[in-house]
Amino acid sequence: MSLLQEEREIILNNEFVDTFDFAEVTEFVKNASKDLFISHRFKNKDKMLVQPRGGFPTYKKQFALNEFFVEANVDVLPLTIDSNTRLNDYATARKMLRLSEENDVDMLNGYPLVNHGYRTTRKMVTHFNKPVSLRHGTPDARLLIETAIASGIFEIEGGPITYLLPYSKNFPLDKAFLYWKYVERVCANYSELNEPINRESFGPLTATLVPPAITIVIQLLEMLLSLEEGVKSFSVSFAQNGSMIQDIVTGAVIKKLAKSYAEQIGCGDAAIHLVYHQWMGAFPSNRDYAEQLINMSTVIAAMVGADKIITKTREEAVGIPTKEANAKTVANTQYTLGILNGLPKVVDEEEEEILTLEVEAIMEAVFNDPADTLWRKVFNSIKNGIIDVPFSPHIINHNEMITIRDAKKNIRIIKRGNVPIPDRCYEYEKSQCDLTKDTTSIVNDIVRDIGIMQ
Amino acid sequence: MKVVTGVVGNDIHVVANRLIDLSLRARGFEVFNLGVNTYLEEFFDAAVETGAEILLISSLNGEAEGWGREVKLLKAKYKDLDNLIMMIGGNLVVGSGSAEDIVPKYKNYGFDLVCHQVDLNTGLDSLEEFIQQRNKK
Repeated sequence: MSLLQEEREIILNNEFVDTFDFAEVTEFVKNASKDLFISHRFKNKDKMLVQPRGGFPTYKKQFALNEFFVEANVDVLPLTIDSNTRLNDYATARKMLRLSEENDVDMLNGYPLVNHGYRTTRKMVTHFNKPVSLRHGTPDARLLIETAIASGIFEIEGGPITYLLPYSKNFPLDKAFLYWKYVERVCANYSELNEPINRESFGPLTATLVPPAITIVIQLLEMLLSLEEGVKSFSVSFAQNGSMIQDIVTGAVIKKLAKSYAEQIGCGDAAIHLVYHQWMGAFPSNRDYAEQLINMSTVIAAMVGADKIITKTREEAVGIPTKEANAKTVANTQYTLGILNGLPKVVDEEEEEILTLEVEAIMEAVFNDPADTLWRKVFNSIKNGIIDVPFSPHIINHNEMITIRDAKKNIRIIKRGNVPIPDRCYEYEKSQCDLTKDTTSIVNDIVRDIGIMQ
Repeated sequence: MKVVTGVVGNDIHVVANRLIDLSLRARGFEVFNLGVNTYLEEFFDAAVETGAEILLISSLNGEAEGWGREVKLLKAKYKDLDNLIMMIGGNLVVGSGSAEDIVPKYKNYGFDLVCHQVDLNTGLDSLEEFIQQRNKK
């Protein structure tokens, strides 16, 4: 038996799992409907796919939510996991699920997939017969993704960097890399049975003044870590950042570089997709304004040429959205996409060149780390501050980089810290901003720049 | 002057914490930032370890109200912290409340300076003023 299979048996021999039947799950994946695979949908797509967010504790409410989504003409169904499961606390998740079932009050902020189990969840997934995307935020997702794939969920979001640096203060990053290596290998193995399992990275990170260079570097690295384990279908992603031109430039550079770095490691055969997140920062509490913002995000996604868009709702500022509000965004977004015709092609060569140079310089510094494997090089680079994510709460993150918005609301790096931004690019970034101000006014600007959409 | 700062309790709101750090440095303080999700013991341990003159605790989700009650009791267990300037700021109540009720409550918990929903720079101005006044004595 392979080491991986031994590890799988240990992971799945868990008191919260009702006997995992490896042979049956393999048969299921082998014969599963192609319609469940987003990788298959991407291959044959004629439009940008629309995917909302959403997860309720009980099977009944999740089923009802999916019915609303299907009614609204959804392309990809989400399954958002509750925060106890994300922290591997299945006992609390079970207790809260019971309370939710008995009292008709939601005691969890998502669907506790491990507790429901794959036999139950598979009934829902196959009933709707649409691709389902697993949305979580779990550093150790080994049991969760085994359960997800066995349920017929063939898109797995996340990664060791993007699911850790924005969410955790002290979960060890090296452990996260190893746990995600398991995830990649399991996804790669299942991909040989039918259509590929799609992996998606979480580009928005902290959604707080993250400069495109950092976003792209982390997307490329998680993509490479995934492809080198044998994954054949991968989505890089980023979120609306507040300036239309910067989004268009980010989209152009990430598409170009993802393909080129994949080819460099001999994985040019993998399919790479681009996902765009509607605004992930603080939302206006006025629901009508929120809808305007969502609509504008859709237009930018079309300008960027995204393969999939992930939606927000008019209730974003208030809390977890109702199924009605959630489905409404899906219908609205589909409508907007349907009438967005004759889009102009916008290119900013200077910005593209600057951003490309920045990304390549950081990637080179990561590759030049003396460690023997890519994940160790990436780990060391985060530890050294070669990769620095603004507003990450994690203790390993350097927090030396400072970013603000320029007059056109582009995010600019005004202090690079240890990130190897080439001098020419750094001078360009700073030249776009008014740096004669004192730090107190810059702090005030940052506060305003974060709340730009409110 | 040395300042220990951080966000108290199971609160992961990081944005204000970074801005406090940045602003304190700009005003010439030496900052020891414990970040988000910090427990009271960690604050006092750090104050002893660094020899800080100021402890600035922040809170966004309002958890501070629960932790505040334990400040005096816990601080009494440490030696040499009698001259530590204690400041707390942010959103200091779960739900809503007025500064008139909140400020005396926190002063009673053992804080010298209490800033409930006060603008960051105004709060730090009051800290500098407090230090000046104290140095005059």
